[in-house]
Amino acid sequence: MAISVLIPFTFAFEPLVALGLMAGIYNGAMYGGAIPAVLLRIPGTPAAVATSFDGYPMAQQGRGGYALQVAVVSSSIGGIASALALMLLAPPLARLTLLFGPSEIFWIAVFAMTSVVFLLGGNPIKGLISAAFGIVVSLCGSDIITGYDRFTFGHLELLDGINIVVLLVGLYALPPVIDLLQKSSSPDASKASELNAGSFWANLPGMRRFAKTWARSSVIGILVGILPGAGGSMAAFLSYNEARRDSTNPKDWGKGEPEGVAAAETANNADTASALIPALTLGIPGTAVAAIMLGGLLVHGLQPGPMLFRENPDIVFGFMWQFLFGAMLLIFLGGSLATNNFARVLLLPRPLLGSIIIALMLIGVYSIHGRMFDVYLMLGFGLVGFAMDKLDYPLPPVVLGVILGAFAEQNLRLALRIGRGDWSILWTNTASVVLILLTGAVVVGPLVMRTIRKWRRTKNIQGE
Amino acid sequence: MNIFRTAMFASAAALVASAALAEYPERDIELLVGFSAGGGTDVMARTLEPFLEKYIGDGANVVIKNIPGASGQIAVTQVAEAEPDGYTIGTYNLPGVMARTLDREADYTADSFTYLANVVNDPNVIVTPQSSSITSMAQLIEEAEADPGAITMGISGLGGDDHFMFIALEDATATDFTLVPFGSSAPTRTAIMGGHVAAGILNVSEIAGFEESIRVLAIASEESSEYAPDVPTLKSEGIDVVNGSLRGFVAPEGLSEEVEQKLMDAFRQTFDDPEFQQAMRDTSNPTRLSLGEDFRMLNNAQLEFAKRVWETSPWK
Repeated sequence: MAISVLIPFTFAFEPLVALGLMAGIYNGAMYGGAIPAVLLRIPGTPAAVATSFDGYPMAQQGRGGYALQVAVVSSSIGGIASALALMLLAPPLARLTLLFGPSEIFWIAVFAMTSVVFLLGGNPIKGLISAAFGIVVSLCGSDIITGYDRFTFGHLELLDGINIVVLLVGLYALPPVIDLLQKSSSPDASKASELNAGSFWANLPGMRRFAKTWARSSVIGILVGILPGAGGSMAAFLSYNEARRDSTNPKDWGKGEPEGVAAAETANNADTASALIPALTLGIPGTAVAAIMLGGLLVHGLQPGPMLFRENPDIVFGFMWQFLFGAMLLIFLGGSLATNNFARVLLLPRPLLGSIIIALMLIGVYSIHGRMFDVYLMLGFGLVGFAMDKLDYPLPPVVLGVILGAFAEQNLRLALRIGRGDWSILWTNTASVVLILLTGAVVVGPLVMRTIRKWRRTKNIQGE
Repeated sequence: MNIFRTAMFASAAALVASAALAEYPERDIELLVGFSAGGGTDVMARTLEPFLEKYIGDGANVVIKNIPGASGQIAVTQVAEAEPDGYTIGTYNLPGVMARTLDREADYTADSFTYLANVVNDPNVIVTPQSSSITSMAQLIEEAEADPGAITMGISGLGGDDHFMFIALEDATATDFTLVPFGSSAPTRTAIMGGHVAAGILNVSEIAGFEESIRVLAIASEESSEYAPDVPTLKSEGIDVVNGSLRGFVAPEGLSEEVEQKLMDAFRQTFDDPEFQQAMRDTSNPTRLSLGEDFRMLNNAQLEFAKRVWETSPWK
């Protein structure tokens, strides 16, 4: 979002300066999305949804400042890992991208959906209804394979589908604002006094315990980043899920576990630079933001593709260094200056805070395409979100449905087209088989583990 | 009071008169771009904008406004419905804009516009992956004849230039391919590079730098292109098809002759500027100018072709 607004500004600069600015915006926006996600449960980007799972409960317990500190360090580490991957591994990783055709991409989407079913939590029926709603929303728009318009009701604005940001802002931002305005007009003094989490630098050494999560989430983020079309939100969901599965106290997750914030934020920043690997080397944008950045390169006369590294190494490697320094700077700027100040937002009187958020929502959604239609759509989703909130329907499955639903459907149909209707195309290549086995492992794995554990326990008892 | 009102009326009248007499342009010219910042059409508009300002002269200021959505249809509708005073112009993509008048309800027709200049002509190319055993156009046709439908062909979208190319190719050679529409050109190119489809249709600007993984069999232009100098034209292969993606600029219908002339002159001077040509080469935009009436005729020819395709093989 920020990047598409700001990119025209970069056109006036020298290429390297412009690219540095883009890299900085990209990195900063990924962390910036975490701030409202933690403080207000309003994710600034789709990738920050997973951050709000534990970040918001932490803020409610008065540990919002600490949550933001964890988020900024994790973001920075994810960004650094990703920039290093871009610098050192770009050519071999780019070749990996080419292995993924429609059938493989379909299986990736299935794998991601299967893995995050665990995120549904609570009432599985309600979770599935939420996911189904998300999938229906994702199907809206012109179908690329037959050309028919689906659920557009004659509106040109719906032909390209519903922009995820419109949905996200409505669904996530409006209900908390309504809640905010319903409560008393003075800020919650008791929580506010606990806001200050102590010095960032004093807390830093204690965060070493997240090292394992940082490493795992970085790898997940980098790998998801190079896959076409997946993007930061999938990286964040998958790594949150993996971290929880590995945790010794999975029950505390979703109730304010700082490690959850670390997992989500590391992964959604680790996909930033790695999404540029296929973009720079093959001209394939891994995410929407990478696509915009490709355009930015083109404006400066830099043709993305295999020749870029050979013809303009100074610019390509300069760009990578900028990514690395940008990620490092994030710790200093985001960490020491801003984090506690952002948390002070909560000290504002509620009516003021609520009105500011509503104004920002309206402006932000309007500026995506410059049209009021999206604003009305966002308000409509806001009402749906409010109803879902009151009826205890979980919101994350909606986001997943929107991101993965049409993505899986289109790639399945493309694969079947390529196979001329023969379903065997879905399992006749190695990459697909590997993905099917992984998906199977996710489903059967926990069952098998439980059976083995039970079997061991009964054996032990018998032994005694 | 009465005197005041008269004075106000008089000054208002004077203002109107001076507005009519004043040299165009006396305020910002809005250039509506139907796609997001950073896309091919946007890059073209932003490359051209400073030159256009320079050649309109009089301190003209052209402001680019991105109105993405419905593959450019939202912006082009706004141009058609704008005041024809020369302060609203827009980008125009063929065959898309005309194809939309057939496959959807559009609030404009071919007569809704003043055709200023078509600047980019990006011919289609027929490609296979470098790893493929198909290395020539003749071989591709042969294999398609031997087993109709066995060859999968990736394109970006239905009702676009590559889809029309696909249909024209099938018609001209009496063959059958399996159409695989990926929705946009980047994933199409990726699928071709990875060998996930047997062949594909792209535009010549999209293959620069990809010689190691994509083999270009033929180009659908009159002459061979500087972007692919050694590639034979379809015509030289005995297939009489010329097709591609066109990008230009239009204003609403009913522009005054004076303003139309001024804008067309500015576009011609822009096009003749070697600096502009270099900038377009740097951004991989194959240029070809069709001005005013030529552009209108080009548009009509595209519409006729789209109608023929729509009647014989509607794409939805």
